[in-house]
Amino acid sequence: MSILEEGYRSPGGSSRNRPHGNLNVLRASVLIVFAILTVRLVYMQIINGAEYARRSRENHIVEKNILPTRGLILDRNGQPLVQNVGVYTATLVPELLPKDQASRYKIYLRLEELTGASALDIQSKVKRAEENDQAYIEVQVQKYLTKEQALRLDEASVDMPGVSLSVTPGRTYPMGNEFSSLLGYIGAQTPEEAKNLGPKGYQLNEPVGKDGIEARYEDDLRGEVGFTANEQDAQGNLINALQTKDPVPGNSLKLAIDADLQKYVAELLQDSLDGTNGSYGPASVAAAVVMNPKTGEVYSMVSIPSYDNNIFAQPDARANELSALYHDNRHPFLNQALTSAAPGSTFKIVTATAGLETGNVTPNTTRCVNSKVLEIKGETGQIFDFLDWREQGCIDLRHGIAYSSNIYMYMTAGGIAQEGIPGLGGYDLEKSGVILANWARKYGFGAPTGIDLFNEAAGRVPDPGWKRRNYADPPYTETDRQWYLSDVYFTAIGQQDVLATPMQIARMTAAVANGGKLVTPHVVDEVIGPDGKTVRTIKTALKDVGVSAANIQVVKEGMHLSVTDSAGAGIRAYTPGIDIAGKTGTAEFYLPDGTKSQHAWFTGFAPYNDPDVVVTVYFDIGVGGDKAAPVASKIFKYFMANVKTK
Amino acid sequence: MSSLAYDRQGTWRGWDRFDYVLTLAALALVGLGLALIYSGSIRSYTGPVASFSNPVAKQVIFAFVGIVAMLLVSKLDYHYLTHYSWVFYVMGLVSLVAILAVGDAAGGSTRWFNLGPIQVQPSEFAKLATILTLARFFSEHGGDAKDLRTLLISLLIVAPMMGLVFIEPDLGTSLVFAAIWLGVVVVAGVSRSHLLIMGALFVALLPFIWTFAIADYQVERVSVLVDSQQDPLGASYNVNQSKIAVGSGQITGKGLTHGQQTQLRYLKVPTKDFIFSVLGEELGFVGAMFLFGLFILLLMRGIRAAQIAGDTAGQLVAVGIVMLILMQTFINVAVNLSIFPVTGIPLPFVSQGGSSLVSLFIALGILQSVVMRHRAYRQT
Repeated sequence: MSILEEGYRSPGGSSRNRPHGNLNVLRASVLIVFAILTVRLVYMQIINGAEYARRSRENHIVEKNILPTRGLILDRNGQPLVQNVGVYTATLVPELLPKDQASRYKIYLRLEELTGASALDIQSKVKRAEENDQAYIEVQVQKYLTKEQALRLDEASVDMPGVSLSVTPGRTYPMGNEFSSLLGYIGAQTPEEAKNLGPKGYQLNEPVGKDGIEARYEDDLRGEVGFTANEQDAQGNLINALQTKDPVPGNSLKLAIDADLQKYVAELLQDSLDGTNGSYGPASVAAAVVMNPKTGEVYSMVSIPSYDNNIFAQPDARANELSALYHDNRHPFLNQALTSAAPGSTFKIVTATAGLETGNVTPNTTRCVNSKVLEIKGETGQIFDFLDWREQGCIDLRHGIAYSSNIYMYMTAGGIAQEGIPGLGGYDLEKSGVILANWARKYGFGAPTGIDLFNEAAGRVPDPGWKRRNYADPPYTETDRQWYLSDVYFTAIGQQDVLATPMQIARMTAAVANGGKLVTPHVVDEVIGPDGKTVRTIKTALKDVGVSAANIQVVKEGMHLSVTDSAGAGIRAYTPGIDIAGKTGTAEFYLPDGTKSQHAWFTGFAPYNDPDVVVTVYFDIGVGGDKAAPVASKIFKYFMANVKTK
Repeated sequence: MSSLAYDRQGTWRGWDRFDYVLTLAALALVGLGLALIYSGSIRSYTGPVASFSNPVAKQVIFAFVGIVAMLLVSKLDYHYLTHYSWVFYVMGLVSLVAILAVGDAAGGSTRWFNLGPIQVQPSEFAKLATILTLARFFSEHGGDAKDLRTLLISLLIVAPMMGLVFIEPDLGTSLVFAAIWLGVVVVAGVSRSHLLIMGALFVALLPFIWTFAIADYQVERVSVLVDSQQDPLGASYNVNQSKIAVGSGQITGKGLTHGQQTQLRYLKVPTKDFIFSVLGEELGFVGAMFLFGLFILLLMRGIRAAQIAGDTAGQLVAVGIVMLILMQTFINVAVNLSIFPVTGIPLPFVSQGGSSLVSLFIALGILQSVVMRHRAYRQT
């Protein structure tokens, strides 16, 4: 008790002093402290409250995209040319990995075993992500897993926190290499593509069409991305499914292409590479176009050599093949039907038309070609030799076309001033060149045909202006820039500077066949929605060449004679039972090593009276009449027997 | 004689002077705290409602223990406590040393004794012991801190406590000690020039403290405040999430139990250190103002106790307790508002936690003791 008492009574004196402290300081500090906190609260809750509310929503609402099913591609008979498959990728989110390094490394090793990706690589990827503060973003461990790998990974991922299997839409192309240049392929976006596609709503893991139809019709094939919005807690557990928008599958494409014809033509060209080829060795590049001369429907478009477009679904596993293709100097990735080469005598159709339309020749203008050599004396008295491929005798325009007479065409386009024969522009060589070039352009040369595929070459139509521009700079001199008679002559027979694609030649042929209308070729016929209804049909755009019906009829007759006349240049395209008209082409050109070689062409249409089909065949090496014409004949035969045009 | 007189005047002597407003303000805070603890724990506590493991029930029990302790202490003359303050002081010091040796670590620091189901935080006890010791010291020295020697000795009383807490490490609590000392010496009449010199010295020493004495995790927490985006999933996680929680509450809040930050467990320790974020998110600015109002009322009643205290010891004890509550409230709310580095200080009367709640009610009991006895001393 005494303790209590002492405490209670507590030593006298000082403790009994009246307290004298100033407590207003304390009151003030209480108010100041809460004032500071209140100011901060006003700033956070009232001034910035809406922004924090937005961040709070983002914090717990997680949107996930659902990639749509890509549209299918079918041939004109409904045969599917592509298959949708899953592309399996092993992914991991660094943030979800265990914290201690030993168990992490165990996961890396297991992944190496399952997917073949090196554990060290995975480790450095994770490290990089963490250093960049991106540990929450999925890292791709290994792409393009096989189905077996994917299944094993999916099972094993249960024991590997952070690891998962991602499936993105992919394609396989079951129909073979014959369809590769036509269909193209899909693949992951390159960084540059991603920059352009991002604003269009593309997800980074979404594949895009890379070439061919896959690229050109990307917008149709892609569909619309769907999404789910889920409310998640901090551990990533699903609390609430808030919203779902189903993806809309892409539109399917029904092609004008006939798959069986495509296969047939491709095999035929492949088998014919080695065939009859004169003295210049086997061909290595070939192309063919089969199309409707009135509608522009492309029934078949073949490019040789081709490639397997399934390689791009396994770029790592098939890296060697891919590299070999990239280094192949025949350029397998180029669509040869859309790549230009000297068209040779097929171009005489242009020259003949120009002669008729300018009135420089009539159907009955007869030239006697009694020598294989036309000698022209130059200004300095020097003699220049211009050759024909045989002594043609005295022939009119139709036979000039049918026999593919060079000299007849020289005289038609450039004339022979010494003998008083005017050219297309009288005796003005430049004018002749311009007139010829203009007719070439009217037939669609020098510009893309507008086919529904990318990377189409424009070809080249030389004229005096082009020559001046092309040789404007040193080391070329004024001599190089001048427009000579030889320029007119060689252009008239489709050589030297003229370049055209097989598609352009086919289109010119179509124009002759249909009476003078330039079609816009198309490989796709119809865009079909996921509900099976037609979204739109692809129609050709027709453009008048501007040639009279009578004159086009003369050209047609010339082409008919070429195949039907026993001395016709295209006689080897003659096919019993099918009335074919056509034009051969054998274009001299110089190989990179300087040796002379020639391209082989044949372009024709059938039936002669009411043409249904145009066939254009091209080999990089060979003689048109010998090599291309028989191949075209077989294509006509197959086409007439097997292809349903409507 | 006086003990008999005390008895004669009856058990109820002084209860007419008991500060009910102070007590009701504290109880209102506890009640608000219970609501917030309920909201903050419904997603993580899955046991039965009527169970002692239910955090709400636990807190209610601790509140009752605290209220009983408050009543008992308020019956006790605070001079009894100041008289034995040195004993408490030594006990506090020993327990702080002991905890460094055997305590349980949490979040990088060692703060608790684990006594079976209850965790005891000796620093809570040490704070009261220090307040009592300081009060006694100044009352015996004429209640005057003007004398530099007196001031330095008072600093020596606080320094060991502060230092031990600091190396636990518990930056927040050591600041609370500093605030208690500052409040007491200011009211005890410290000379302004002394205060300025010491402040200047402290500022000069700050770089050394930063380099040698502050643990890495504290540096990290401080720098996270400066740039909370630098490590969104590491040290700044809590800072970001509490900011989002408080800010998104806006004016009226999302409603109790309806804050996504709280309910989806983006907030860590939502019933303890970050309970203010729960309040900010679910009850908004209005709720926060209500809370501040209760605290201001409570603290002003505490200052009133100091004002009417019968002697210097009573006044300084009251001042120390006011500073204790004020500083803890400030640090806790400031952490929640991202203007102070993350440090584990509970919100007085509101946060879940027995040690804190019981010791705060004991502190209120001491305040009541001062209030209830003020006339006795003035009259004599």
